[in-house]
Amino acid sequence: MTLITVSLSVLIFSFFSLIFLNLKQAGAQLGENIRLIIYLDHEIPLAVQPQYIKKIQSFNKVEKIVFKSRDAALAHLSKQLGQDSDVLADLNSDFLPPSIEVYPAKDLESLSRIKQFSDFLTTLPGAQKVQYGREWIERLGYFTQLIKLIVLLSGGLLVLTATFMVSSTIRLTVVSRNNELEILRILGASKSYIQLPLIIEGFLQGILGSAIGLLCMHFLFSYVKSRFTGPGLLSIIHFSFLPTPITAAILLISIFLCTFGSIISIRKFLNL
Amino acid sequence: MKIKQNKAAFVEFIKVNKIYPPDVIALRDVSFAVKPGEMIFLTGRSGAGKTTLLKLICALECPTKGLVEVAGHDLGKISQRELQLLRQKIGMAYQDFKLLPKLTVYQNIAMPMEVSFTPNKTIIDRINYLLDLLNLNGKKDIKTDKLSRGEQQRVALARAAANYPPLLLADEPTGNLDHENAKLVIKLFDQLNRAGTTLIIATHDHSLYENHQAQTLELSQGQLVFKNPDTPKSVAVPGE
Repeated sequence: MTLITVSLSVLIFSFFSLIFLNLKQAGAQLGENIRLIIYLDHEIPLAVQPQYIKKIQSFNKVEKIVFKSRDAALAHLSKQLGQDSDVLADLNSDFLPPSIEVYPAKDLESLSRIKQFSDFLTTLPGAQKVQYGREWIERLGYFTQLIKLIVLLSGGLLVLTATFMVSSTIRLTVVSRNNELEILRILGASKSYIQLPLIIEGFLQGILGSAIGLLCMHFLFSYVKSRFTGPGLLSIIHFSFLPTPITAAILLISIFLCTFGSIISIRKFLNL
Repeated sequence: MKIKQNKAAFVEFIKVNKIYPPDVIALRDVSFAVKPGEMIFLTGRSGAGKTTLLKLICALECPTKGLVEVAGHDLGKISQRELQLLRQKIGMAYQDFKLLPKLTVYQNIAMPMEVSFTPNKTIIDRINYLLDLLNLNGKKDIKTDKLSRGEQQRVALARAAANYPPLLLADEPTGNLDHENAKLVIKLFDQLNRAGTTLIIATHDHSLYENHQAQTLELSQGQLVFKNPDTPKSVAVPGE
């Protein structure tokens, strides 16, 4: 019973941890392609462009700044449309506004800084609008924060549950084996002779329970990855299982908690 | 009369009183000493205090007043570690057996030897010897809850004797035994005593001790009564 509880606890915790870590990773991967587009009301002359670059970089270092004229914008759109580019034939060549594409440096990934940067860029002379995929970044950020909270809360609750369950199991073992333990005491068995098997039981529950939980998670992850990752949006994100240090940490913490729960029970209910 | 401690005693009681709440007096001013290698019969009617006395010797109970010393240890001041080691040297056969019903005869008898980390071969040899001596051949792998009371009693005795204890306490060891098996038990006790074990046997079966050369201590309503004051007192009262 305790084994199942420990396995389920580890499974649930590692499930949320996996989601959280992959979301964070996905955010980082998508964030690599983040760019802010400043739509302008007029084209920036070549002589003035360095001043714009200097002003933009005064906020923070950026990787790249690309000035796009109306013609360049039209050419880019035509390329994107491919075979359907003939729809542009009847349109004025200047229907697209000129723009500046700003590729932020990697240290500007957090939502709040991108927002601030965006707000700053709107103050540039001639800037009409700054676009950066605000909505989905905000949603991803909130979702990531939510998952982080769930992971922390669930982790805390599951830690308590697992410790309590192991402690209760050992208590029941002690109570059910009361006669035997009493006789061992009368025969002169040392404290460690009596306590050690119970502590080992807690230890084994920790190691087996967490191993089973992590294995189940791994199978579940492999199944989902093989079924749902393929062509499409998800193909641009690389999903990975829990990193080895985190897996090892979950294993060690489970072992520690189960052994600790066992020791608490022994101290409390075994009057030695 | 001032009671002097008997340094040569293996078991010594000095003015020991035991009162169970609220006011049940089990032992009253009991003083005696048992030398190493002696065999003593502790006699008296049911309720005289024999079991309480034995429990005090192996520190299952604490005296309300007085001093209990076993193998030089004052049981009132002994540490947990010392008590644990002392208990490995005391074999006790209880009136209610205290066997583990779901374990086999072998497993029950092996317990005191396993607790003191006796080698496996020695355990096997010793158990086989005791089973043969106490007429329990063929019962080795049977769970003790399947045995008769007489068989359980003999298993309890075998467990008490298994570790060659320096001190063996037996509480009504022949209460459930027929005459033949009772003789086997006495034979075991004599063997152990010849090998140097100190024995204190609580019994109200006078057929056990009336023709035996061992000394007797009689308890009556919690007090020691010396039936025959002229009997040579190898069971010394401390200070005399």
